[in-house]
Amino acid sequence: MGFGDLKSAAGLRVLNDFLADKSYIEGYVPSQADIAVFEAIAAPPPADLYHALRWYNHIKSYEKQKASLPGVKKALAKYGPADVEDTTGAATDSKNDDDIDLFGSDDEEESEEAKKLREERLAQYESKKSKKPAVVAKSSILLDVKPWDDETDMAKLEECVRSIQADGLVWGSSKLVPVGYGIKKLQIQCVVEDDKVGTDMLEERITAFEDYVQSMDVAAFNKI
Amino acid sequence: GPEELALLERLLGLPKGNKYGVQGERKVPVLQTNNGPGLTGLMTIAAHLVKQAKKDQLLGSTAEEKAVVQQWLEYRVTRVDGGSSKEDTRIILKDLNVHLEDKVYLAGNIFTLADILMYYGLHHVMVELTVQEKEKYLNVSRWFNHIQHYPGVRQHLSNVVFIKNRLYTNAH
Repeated sequence: MGFGDLKSAAGLRVLNDFLADKSYIEGYVPSQADIAVFEAIAAPPPADLYHALRWYNHIKSYEKQKASLPGVKKALAKYGPADVEDTTGAATDSKNDDDIDLFGSDDEEESEEAKKLREERLAQYESKKSKKPAVVAKSSILLDVKPWDDETDMAKLEECVRSIQADGLVWGSSKLVPVGYGIKKLQIQCVVEDDKVGTDMLEERITAFEDYVQSMDVAAFNKI
Repeated sequence: GPEELALLERLLGLPKGNKYGVQGERKVPVLQTNNGPGLTGLMTIAAHLVKQAKKDQLLGSTAEEKAVVQQWLEYRVTRVDGGSSKEDTRIILKDLNVHLEDKVYLAGNIFTLADILMYYGLHHVMVELTVQEKEKYLNVSRWFNHIQHYPGVRQHLSNVVFIKNRLYTNAH
């Protein structure tokens, strides 16, 4: 679980989506779960992420009582949607930089001991930095779904496409694009986890709705 | 009417004993008092009960909160109870959805009598909504689900189900 990197715009979007139908991170009362996530966010979410902003302002109103809210503060990876990872941790690694004296002491002449200690610490820092948490590979795909003719019920066609559910698949916005002769194609966005969902599988499941769908093409494919 | 006021009494932790009646064609509730004609009207009686229970914060703390609470109590009586056509309902849900976009409760950050009476007043509407409608009025659904889980509010009323994984994400 987690929201991705809460210090990034993408992470805030995950948080926003998560909070669309919830007042709190967990349950129905403010708790340490809300405080944990609140403290991981650098600033109020932007106005277009209005669910996250609503939650942020609400939790802010509990600032004075935050110590007495129920529950126990856990790691960010314990909260949020099940199929997302927490990568906000990458930021906290850099906090340890302050503890490491990279440029040596003020004293120009370093003793052998101090030098050895410094080099040891540098090696530690380097190895910690290289162990960054894994990021889930995702892609944003734009699909063109074509109907048989101009009489096909496009609303029903869209409903069929959106009814396709899979682990690692999230449907996005869509629009109808005229292609001539009164026919419209459905252009629909989705975000997939690369190792779970592929375009072959999407094509198979979308074209299975034979009554509505004539064909499906990938209009655009971008790595996120 | 009186049934709703009984729910409210229980939620407020008031002892039983108040006697209610109804008046006129529109069945306006009346709280019978020892002296005089009694208190008339849902909003009036509800506010009186809140004060009886010494839970005045449910009417709002700041002047602005108090005004917003009154606004929604009035809305409940004039629009929710007053109109009941499909179009009226659609407008109410749309109004609420816009108002709740940036608020957790009707008055902002605090739970008030407005949330309670709007919940009771809209329960019969929410029970009938389709999955798509619940997603369309996403903010109303979020608020309603929150209020029905607030301790003491729902009592014997049915729990309205809101599915966790939305079918139409980003459908705006």
